[in-house]
Amino acid sequence: MKRIFTKFSVLTFLCLLFINAASAQNITVKGTITDGQDKTTIPAVSVVVKGTTTGTQTDANGKYAISVPANGTLVFTYIGYNTQEVPVNNQTTINASLASSSQQLEQVVVVGYGTQRKVDVTGSVASLKGSEISKQASTNPVSALQGKIAGVAITNTGTPGSAPQIRIRGLGTIFGNQAPLYVVDGVWYSDINFLNPGDIENMSVLKDASAQSIYGIRAANGVVLITTKKGKLGSATTINYDAYAGFQSVTNKVKMANATEYGTVINELYTQNGQDPLFKDPSALGTGTDWYKQILQDAFVMNHNISIAGGTEKSTYNVSLGYLDQDGIVKTNNFKRYTARVSNDIQIFKDLKVGYNVTGVASQSRDIPQTIFHQMYSASPTISVFNPDGTYGDPKLQNLGDGANFNPQATLDYFNQQTKDYRVTGNIYAELKFAKHFTFRTSVGGEFGQMENRKYNPVYFATTAQKNDVSLLDLKRVETRNWIVENTLTYQNTFNEDHSLTVLLGQSAQSNKAYTINASAQNVPFNSDADLYLSLGDAATRSILDQGSLIKFASYFGRVNYAFKNKYLLNASIRADGASQFYGNETWGYFPSVGAGWVVTNEDFMKDQTVFSSLKIRGSWGKVGNASVPINPSQLTVSQTGQLIAFFNGLPSTGASIDMVVPPAIVWEKGIGSNIGFEAAFLKNRLTVEGEYYTRKTSRAIFAIPALMSLGTVTNDLIGNQADLQNSGVELSAAWSDVTGGGLTYSIGGNISYNKNKVTSVLSGKTPIYGGSTGLTNGYVANRTIEGSPIGEFFGYKTVGVFQNAADVANSPAQAGALPGGFKYADTNGDGKINSQDRVPLGNPNPKYTYGINTSFAYKNFDLALDFQGVAGVDVYNSNLAYRFGNENFTKDFVDNRWHGEGTSNTYPSASIGSSANSAPNSFYVSSGSYFRVRNAQIGYTLPKSILTKWKIQKIRFYANAQNAINLFGYKGFSPEVGPIPVDNAEKILASQTNYLNAGLDANVYPLYATYNFGVNLTF
Amino acid sequence: MKKNKNIYTKAVLGLGLIVAIAVIPACKKSFLNVPEQGKQNSAVFWKTAEDAGKGVSAIYGNLRSWENTAFPAIAIESMGSDDAEKGSTPSDASFFNDFDQFNVDPAQGNIGGFWSGQYRNINYANQVLDNVPAIVMDEALKARYLAEAKFVRAFSYFRLVRAFGNVPLRLTTPKDANVDYNLPQAPAAQVYAQIEKDLTEAAEILPQTYPAADKGRATKGAALTLHAKVAMYLKKWSDVATYTNQVMGMGYSLLPDYEKVFRLENENGPESIFEIQCVLLPGNPDASNSQYSQVQGVRGTSGVDGGGWGFNVPTADLAAAFEPGDPRRSGTILFRGTTTPEGDVIPKVGDNPMYNMKSYVPFKLYISNFNEGAQQNVRMLRYSDVLLMNAEAANELGNTGQALSSLEQVRRRARQGNPDILPAVTTTDQTALRAAIYKERRVEFAMEFDRYFDVIRQGRGTAVFGPKGWKAGKNEVWPIPQTEVDLSGGVLIQNPGY
Repeated sequence: MKRIFTKFSVLTFLCLLFINAASAQNITVKGTITDGQDKTTIPAVSVVVKGTTTGTQTDANGKYAISVPANGTLVFTYIGYNTQEVPVNNQTTINASLASSSQQLEQVVVVGYGTQRKVDVTGSVASLKGSEISKQASTNPVSALQGKIAGVAITNTGTPGSAPQIRIRGLGTIFGNQAPLYVVDGVWYSDINFLNPGDIENMSVLKDASAQSIYGIRAANGVVLITTKKGKLGSATTINYDAYAGFQSVTNKVKMANATEYGTVINELYTQNGQDPLFKDPSALGTGTDWYKQILQDAFVMNHNISIAGGTEKSTYNVSLGYLDQDGIVKTNNFKRYTARVSNDIQIFKDLKVGYNVTGVASQSRDIPQTIFHQMYSASPTISVFNPDGTYGDPKLQNLGDGANFNPQATLDYFNQQTKDYRVTGNIYAELKFAKHFTFRTSVGGEFGQMENRKYNPVYFATTAQKNDVSLLDLKRVETRNWIVENTLTYQNTFNEDHSLTVLLGQSAQSNKAYTINASAQNVPFNSDADLYLSLGDAATRSILDQGSLIKFASYFGRVNYAFKNKYLLNASIRADGASQFYGNETWGYFPSVGAGWVVTNEDFMKDQTVFSSLKIRGSWGKVGNASVPINPSQLTVSQTGQLIAFFNGLPSTGASIDMVVPPAIVWEKGIGSNIGFEAAFLKNRLTVEGEYYTRKTSRAIFAIPALMSLGTVTNDLIGNQADLQNSGVELSAAWSDVTGGGLTYSIGGNISYNKNKVTSVLSGKTPIYGGSTGLTNGYVANRTIEGSPIGEFFGYKTVGVFQNAADVANSPAQAGALPGGFKYADTNGDGKINSQDRVPLGNPNPKYTYGINTSFAYKNFDLALDFQGVAGVDVYNSNLAYRFGNENFTKDFVDNRWHGEGTSNTYPSASIGSSANSAPNSFYVSSGSYFRVRNAQIGYTLPKSILTKWKIQKIRFYANAQNAINLFGYKGFSPEVGPIPVDNAEKILASQTNYLNAGLDANVYPLYATYNFGVNLTF
Repeated sequence: MKKNKNIYTKAVLGLGLIVAIAVIPACKKSFLNVPEQGKQNSAVFWKTAEDAGKGVSAIYGNLRSWENTAFPAIAIESMGSDDAEKGSTPSDASFFNDFDQFNVDPAQGNIGGFWSGQYRNINYANQVLDNVPAIVMDEALKARYLAEAKFVRAFSYFRLVRAFGNVPLRLTTPKDANVDYNLPQAPAAQVYAQIEKDLTEAAEILPQTYPAADKGRATKGAALTLHAKVAMYLKKWSDVATYTNQVMGMGYSLLPDYEKVFRLENENGPESIFEIQCVLLPGNPDASNSQYSQVQGVRGTSGVDGGGWGFNVPTADLAAAFEPGDPRRSGTILFRGTTTPEGDVIPKVGDNPMYNMKSYVPFKLYISNFNEGAQQNVRMLRYSDVLLMNAEAANELGNTGQALSSLEQVRRRARQGNPDILPAVTTTDQTALRAAIYKERRVEFAMEFDRYFDVIRQGRGTAVFGPKGWKAGKNEVWPIPQTEVDLSGGVLIQNPGY
């Protein structure tokens, strides 16, 4: 596939290069370009002959000269000014004065329940155009935000069809949903996996509390506003077809030991354990099986998107269809998504507009077992995939013990699970303008979704440890039925030209219902999918669990925006939210905000300065809430589980009792944020710079605090509002865009953000809350949260070396399980013995710095975009290394550096790395998670118009794109981008809450991959 | 135009109607009143006899839990003894060695696991004791339910007090975070007093036997036997004698074949006094959750399912402790390279030379997707314990004849009619007889989680476990779980030496 694409693209590009626009009867035109207002000359104005790529630019004195057809037209373009076209008509001198475009001023951003001129915004709002999102090879729109916006950190996951993790200005909540609120055309979502990136017109990220607080209830983790594409009034029908195809290939693969190396080190392990070596002659084992090579693949991906948009005088429409087919880099893994979207706006009367948006999505995932990643890592290379007789290579037959007793190929072959998601969502609205200044808008939105997961474990025998005697069919179905109604009334007026006032009043009600069925049965036969129904299974083994949740919200809100002479800006808003899951006096939460801005450049005293094209200073404060938290029982509930069934005379007797205490009533998590910032433009708006400083406090954050075990409750945690967190940081972004005399249009933008995360207080005080056991053995945990430290910092022993011999052990502080070749831990409290009191903080899984550099270049018909992105000041815990129960494989790096006798290493331990002394969380496993990557590299070519008119095509662009092709990092695992722990779809669709105390542990992580694709954009 | 205006008015009115329909329900006060979905509220529980029955069943069901029967129990009640060691592969769960060698860190999770497992039993018992008295139901049945709860509560406090010494004594369900959540430790003597009170009250009510359908519930014999054991730990010898004599008159008997005591067909048999009831219930892995046999099962069965993880294995010292020819050796220890009476071949080569025979379940009974040996009951109190307690008490009270007679009952059964082995003990010297009884207890109850605390209560900790690192003044008890000490904010006092 790779080769075909390469050939194809080379040919295409060669053909296109030789096509040139013809020109005749040229004359030379000269002239000077000036600013329409102050009459100063403007250098570097682009001068292009219309319809061609012929062009030049003005010199330092604003003068230009160009050869142009006598009947042609010149186009003068300059950033920050209106483009001007002048027909040549045989003139030889054409002077033009360009009117300063008020584009910068008039640029409109989408904010909560409306739009605002960017210049009027007093909070922190960043937007990204839909084209920036859809041009990337990201299948999820959120992923495309990576590196684009200061303060927005994206952590990708490799599983096709899964959503990346997004954090806006740090981690502000630990329990419940820490994803932002997504508002798509006015409908609220907590996940936008259903959305085709190609349908997005604009994405606005509300970053500070004042911008967010109008969404009070769910705003604490940030708000992402998305408007989808619509047709334009009175425009001809346009058909867009965008498609790409390519492949995804694993990068930065960790090299594992080969069979000989493995045999050698396993023999060392046996010797250290006082056993006879397992392998007689490791060197005879050869290289063995490379499981990564066996299980991973270069995965095909393709995406098609077709949209038809247009409008009459009174109505607009947009219809789009999308199709995504993505293979996973693990063989057999596949994700398909079909999307359809219709939007229609009708101006029924001059003052009354109605419309609707409807999206339908169907997706289907052929899942893989999540254990496969750990299995590839740990499977023995001495096992062949298949024996000569076609049976699976069996680890037990080599006496490999119980630690590595699997053949990953067999695991994959007998895994039969699929996840399907069907969803219809949208809204219908009406907008009525009356009494000149009033607009009333009502919108009813809803979502009906059904996700189903089906797993069938057949009867099979693959290897001694991989077999199944009784088949099991597992079905999980989650239905979502949500609705939201919103009514807003807006009053807008300007008094005496100086006082501009907008008042918004609104009301909202919503209901979110989830309905979950989890069922299974044994002995369902399987000849085809038609058999996979529980009714065919053994009746006695059928089990059905039916659960649900229902949450309702009622809200009222209002906002006032006032501007005086476009100089002084004042915004204030308040929202009152009632949420059904909070009871008593805590049902209602109130979320006010204020913001103020000063547009300095609109002051009279700034009139004559030439440094700033514009300068605004702004500050804001606001409160936000997070209602998306686990529902706490308000009263004791009865637990009636299988574990409580008693047996009398061998027969079951249902057991039920109360094994909980009433936790403290859970109330709103409240965020209080303040933000100060500036926006400045220089050099005739070519350079823009924005900077902000913010603090964001989460008070009464919901936290699980270990409860006294002597209470006898079944869970040892009590969830409650028991902590205060703080994120504070600085964001800076700058952008430069210009057109050179040679006709090169380019822009370079960069952003960097710094965030510091701290737990300012927690009910348990100095008593740490431990968490984070992914990939850890022997009951260890590697993360802890304690007052004064970041959430979930790594915590463990500090290694100071490796014991070289028995004397070394004897001369060091007493340490349980100490042996030559084992880690020597620091006696940090100096009491002469090593125990849990010697553990110290080892690192921080919350990134301090995130940054991105985004560039674009266009020259004649070529365009090029290069995006870079990275994080710094973050640590990763490599829990893969000691994730061992026996004879798991080792990395090549470990084999090369391990201790295997006195003096061989003072940093890497012996083959006994999995022992309880060595696998205890310690500094050896923690390393920097900083990385820098070439996020996107895209080169495109647009066919000249002259050819296209013949074909009745408006635009054809071909491009080649590489995503994540180059990654630089020092971490010795697969990827320092350790996102949420991959969760099997079967569990994910049932999961109600996630615990982020588990952050930054790398075990079983989907390896990093690069995507290479070729695409076409076609407009008819 | 007029027509248009009409339509316009209609449209606006229609719009208003839609808004009204949508808004009005949301304005109602009850809109936000959403009951919890799919959970039974406690306000409607504890109302009927059926609720009381479920509450009591929950107490028994929970006894199968991991904390009661698997790793935490092994760590606290078995690893310290000279009978058992970690087993399995060297690197797997090597924390067991820290218990075996007495250098365990108070933060080790299994200490907390055992602690919380016992307090969960206590909570389920307290739930019944708090709530059932108010239920209107058959008074006799109610009294029995309460007595059953008291028995399990006493058992759990006994396991706690001998493991940790002074522990919080929680006798009611927790009600208020500011009042009764963070309880201080009660002195061990006070805990023992409460255990005795519960057992006395339980023994008064509990029936000697149940109809078949209730087999497995705590009996009068169980309460008396446990009380005897508690009294033995307190050296209240006449009480031990009284309670054991009572039980000896209840018709219990020893099975002829020692090995068969631990097989499925003899569960709840004539020798059984109290067992944790475990069943493999098809279609219900949650109810079939015992891992007691699984964690101790033979590791490495060479391609045959039904073994286990191979933890808590007999030591060479234990293997050598049996008198020549004692059939209890092979009833206790499953040796590599042998074939079990049920025909399971234990391969010659493997991680460990010996496994616990008493938790063994024939491999063919394994069903995939279930824990190996999930059907094996855990023998908690056996009649031979009554006899040996009786012998010990009689010897301490100077009643040598009774002591020798009770001891001989145990040895006679072990002998299985073979006159050449296990000769009757005849010494009348109190010290020598005491030693003989101690030795008999070891071989009779080996691998039944009895030995470790038995040796400590005999005052022989240093002599027996000293070579492994046991120190008097410290190792009589394990440390209080560190997280519990931390969470108590100074209310709980760590045991000395930790």
